[in-house]
Parts: sequence; structure tokens; C-alpha cells
Amino acid sequence: METITPAGQLFQYLITGITVGSIYAMVAVGFNIIYNVTEIINFAQGEFVMLGGLVMVSLHVGMGLPLIAAFPATMIIVTLVGMLLDRLAISPIRRPTVLSLIIATIAASILLKGTAMFIWGKDPYDLPAFSGRNPITFLGAVIQPQYFWVIGFLIITVIVLTLFFEKTILGKAMSACADNPDAASLVGINVKQMILLSFALSAAIGAVAGIVVTPISLMEYDRGAMLAVKGFGAAVLGGLGSFPGAVIGGLILGAIESLGAGLISSGYKDAFALIVLMFVLFYKPSGIFGDIEVSKIKRF
Amino acid sequence: MLSIEGLRTSYGGIRVLKGVSIQIPKGKVVSIIGANGAGKSTLLKNISGLVKAQEGRIIYKGKNIAGMPAHRIVGLGISQVPEGRQLFAHLTVLDNIRLGAYHYFKRSNRDEINGRIEHVYQIFPILEKRSKQVAGTLSGGEQQMLAISRALMGRPELLLLDEPSMGIAPLIVREIFNVIRKLNASGTTILLVEQNAKAALKVANHCYVLERGEVVLEGLAAELLDNPKVKEVYLGG
Repeated sequence: METITPAGQLFQYLITGITVGSIYAMVAVGFNIIYNVTEIINFAQGEFVMLGGLVMVSLHVGMGLPLIAAFPATMIIVTLVGMLLDRLAISPIRRPTVLSLIIATIAASILLKGTAMFIWGKDPYDLPAFSGRNPITFLGAVIQPQYFWVIGFLIITVIVLTLFFEKTILGKAMSACADNPDAASLVGINVKQMILLSFALSAAIGAVAGIVVTPISLMEYDRGAMLAVKGFGAAVLGGLGSFPGAVIGGLILGAIESLGAGLISSGYKDAFALIVLMFVLFYKPSGIFGDIEVSKIKRF
Repeated sequence: MLSIEGLRTSYGGIRVLKGVSIQIPKGKVVSIIGANGAGKSTLLKNISGLVKAQEGRIIYKGKNIAGMPAHRIVGLGISQVPEGRQLFAHLTVLDNIRLGAYHYFKRSNRDEINGRIEHVYQIFPILEKRSKQVAGTLSGGEQQMLAISRALMGRPELLLLDEPSMGIAPLIVREIFNVIRKLNASGTTILLVEQNAKAALKVANHCYVLERGEVVLEGLAAELLDNPKVKEVYLGG
């Protein structure tokens, strides 16, 4: 057994923080996709992560599907749930306002949580790590191989999404819907279809986050709400709507949480994220990457 | 090209249009003038599909398009320049222009789209200089030019213009009306809604006067310019 140096300990906290932060970042990215198209915050985003983990457990562990098949199958199932959420809870609202839509997402999150409890019960579930659980020791810190999967999937997700929104006309059309839905339909964009697409995309990303994190932190039916709060904190910290912001926000939040829990008290772990969220809202509501001018003209 | 028959529209329980009938012949500029709240914008939104009419027909090229969703109507060749520009404020000028071509945006149409972008840059050279700028940061006049360009990208046969002179310096208004004339000369049919009656009557062939949701007067634009009632109410005596 190696001796643990203070520097190694600190590095350990940081690595753990970055891994947890990657999950927050993915939740934040999910928030941003829907926000960028509709200007609403989908509070059921955390439930997508929870469903990703639990559906994966059922397919991979329960039914014995190999990882390579269970992964996309889980993404498809959760994506369908996301699309259903839009079609059953968001799209039917006759006179949508930002507030009424947000309330609908909160209701949907409660419903999803309850349904998950019926299906999977209240126990946490484990998932085998993708490439074993033999930790790597590096600079005095113990690193689970699964950490690399988490960080890797975050990087892939962000690159793909940035390219999608910056380089493709479909991505631009989605952003146009948030800016001005009437003008978007005047140029031929089917706004309802774009909203459906945004829910599908963020559900898929939520599923990925849930699948990759379950081998590290297990998954149970009521994990969604806290993940949503942390992800929201990350999104606000980075600047709502910005993908690089979501990543930086998530990683900072994860690091603060992990360092705070390690150095101060693990009992206050969840409080750190909320304290950061409050400070950002007090002093720089536009976030790190948010443009103050742009945030002024936004509705939420 | 477009004929509107007996259009009735209510907005939040208030009757805005009370049976409006209007003819827009191909190749002409038709203008609708009237005071604030006369129902001009609602009429345009009925045509472009943003607002659904309760009754009446909108016949375009022999087909009733009343009730069709807006995102499909633009594909038929009807583009609207909405009141107050309604740009995609957070996107760049070029993105706004490109999105104008959204309904036929395909790899195989790339040459046509690039050609059209060149064309709108020729009409409004300032937009080419501003192409990387975020649309929300443009001046009022430039925003109006961009709104018109975006509509032109939709390859309209019928262009609906809603208050293009609103909130714009007189010099730019003149430029925009010159563009409207040129567009018409090159074959685009135009329906122009304006509070600036003088400018509208000068550019139009035919004109309708809308008051409280009804057509109270119609005729050749040149004749209406000399009509004593129009002179008194809309041209300031």
C-alpha cells in the first residue's frame, strides 16, 4: 500500500471532481439544447440520466444484452421517452408561455420518477464498468478506468453538438426557433418538429450520461432531481445556452464539490453546488460564457 | 395570382377582419393602407399562415391555402417580411440569409442558394460587409434590409411586406422603396402594407383602404392619391 501524500490526495479529489463534473456537464448540455430551441428549462433532464442508467441495467445486466447492443438500445428507449414527453406534455399546451412549459417539465419529472420507482423499486443498481475495475495509479491518485469513459463521452458529445449547431442548417434552424418562432415558421421551419428534435437530442445525451456514470456511482429512481439541480447550476455557471460554458461550468462545479467534500465536509457536498449557483445568480447571472447584452434580451 | 374572399378573423375574441376581399393580380404592386389597428397586419398573417382566419378563402394559384401552416406556405412561393423585422437576432447576418432558403436547403440546390446570396448582396451591399455580425446589432435600416433579403431567399413569387418603413430614417425608406420597385420590375408580385400612405401609393398599382377590419375604398393608386378623403385622412391634407 502506497502512502497517500497531500498532493496526491488533492489530485485524487480533482480527478473525482472532474469525472462527476463531466456528468453535470452532460446534464447541462441537455438543458442547453432544449433551452436553445425553446428558451425553457427542462427540469426532467435529470430523469433522462436516471432512465439511461436504469434501462441500461435492465438490458445489460437483466436481459444479458452485450454492452455494444445495450448502449444504443438504451439511448433509443430514452430518446423515445424524451419525444413522448414533448408530444404528451409540451406540444399539447395551447398557449405556451415559458413558465407554463417549465411547470409541465417539472410535472413530467415527477411522473417519470414515480414510474421508475414502480418498475425498478427503490434500490440502487450497479452496472459493470466498461473496461473492468482495475484502478490505475497516477501521481498518487487512484483512477478508475470508467473515469476515462465518462470524460471521453463528454468530449465526443460536445464536439458533435458544437459541429451540429454551428455548421449544419438544421442546427441553425433549431437556434432560429428559440430566437423567433414566428419568423422561423415564415422561412419554412416546422417549429414543433424542431422542439421534438431538441427533446430527442437531450434525452439521448441524458441517457449517455446515465449509462456511463452508473458503474461509478450506481443509479436509483430518485437521482434525477439532484442531477437536474447540479446540471442547472453548471449550465448557469457557464452561461445558459453555451456548450463550452456547460462543460467548464460542469467541471468547475464537480471540482468544487469534490474538493469541498474532501477538504471541508462531505456532509455539505450538495450544498457547494447550490452556493455556487446562488453566487453566480447574484453577481454574474449571464455566466462565464454568457453575453450580458444577449442575456438581457432573453426571456428567461 | 392571389384572391382573398370574405376573410373574417378574430383575435382573442375581438373581430379584427370583418369580411375582407382583395385581389392581387400577378406582376402588380398592391398596397393596403389604413390606420393602426385597422387589421392590415392580421390580413398579412392570414395569408402567410401565422394566424388562422375563421371564415373565408385565400386562393393562391387556384388553390385555397387558408388554414395551411406557415412553414408550408413559404414553399408555395409566398414570403413575408414581418412587421418589426423579426430577425433571428442571435444569429449572424449570413445565417439569417441562409435560413431564408431553409425550405429548399439541400446540397443539390447549393449553387442556386449561393447565387441568391450573391443577388441579395448586390441589392444590399452593406449586408455583405456585415455578414459575420450578429443580426441584433444592426441598425434599424440594415435590419429591414436583412429581413427583406431573408424573405427573398425563399424565392418568392409573391412578397408580403409589412410596414417596411417603420422606424427607419427617411433616406433608407427611399432606398427600400426603390428596391421594392426593382423587385416588382423583375417579376415579383408585391403586397405592401403601410402606414406611410404617400410612399405606398406612389409605388403601388392598386390600393385598398382598410378601416376597422373592412375595405372602405379601393382603386388605382394614382386615383387614390387624388381622392379628397384619402388626402384628408391619410396624406395629411
